[in-house]
Amino acid sequence: MQVKDILQSKHLTLLNQQGNLNNTVKGIFACDLLSHVMGFAYEDNVFITVLNNINVLGVASLIDLGCVVFSHNIEVNEAIIIKANELEIPLLSTKLTTAEITIELFRMGV
Amino acid sequence: METYSKKYNIERNDINNAGTVASLTKRALKKRGLSREFVKQVTIGVYEAEINVVIHSYGGTVVVNISDDQVDITFTDIGPGIPSIEKALTKGYSTASSYAIENGFGAGMGLPNIKAVSDEMDLKSSEEGTVLYMKFDITEKCYAS
Repeated sequence: MQVKDILQSKHLTLLNQQGNLNNTVKGIFACDLLSHVMGFAYEDNVFITVLNNINVLGVASLIDLGCVVFSHNIEVNEAIIIKANELEIPLLSTKLTTAEITIELFRMGV
Repeated sequence: METYSKKYNIERNDINNAGTVASLTKRALKKRGLSREFVKQVTIGVYEAEINVVIHSYGGTVVVNISDDQVDITFTDIGPGIPSIEKALTKGYSTASSYAIENGFGAGMGLPNIKAVSDEMDLKSSEEGTVLYMKFDITEKCYAS
């Protein structure tokens, strides 16, 4: 499954234009502590967070996560979007809670 | 292959640039044909230590050496030191500031993560500063197949 496939969900919106939508997505990791993400997330995971912070992208890039989903309708600042475009990391947003979007993605087969 | 040796400065509280050394090291390791899994282990170690210098210390340096048979990395900061190394190595124990926590750090997993991914780790600390050494052995299985 790829990022473009999960974008079929009516609950997800793409935030940046230069993210690689062909990135593979496999498995879900929902967390707001970056050391836990570094230590326990796997490559190609969908990373769900409420952390509106540029270091989210550092972690996503370093361990090759598939994409980042900001839950709870978190407002994402412009600096993050610019950096995500540079790194070609897809950023997605949802109004759903972290638990709800996790279930939605699980049902989609991620 | 030629030995890679680099030294970088790390500034106190420079959260926006935290991860730069990890990213450059990752790139150097990938160029040498090392496997994704091995590269990830080293990257985790460097990133965690880099964050520690940024959020806990007054600043410092890191030296990264990559040879054919090992990666050795030494972080040296200028204080204030770790009051209890034993506690600092305990999963979940943290002395991070609210500033660090707001930025997603301070889970108390940094040093335990480094210990878990490295083949050797040595930590010495006093009020004058902390020196963290980590080593990753490169064997045949560390190369991408």
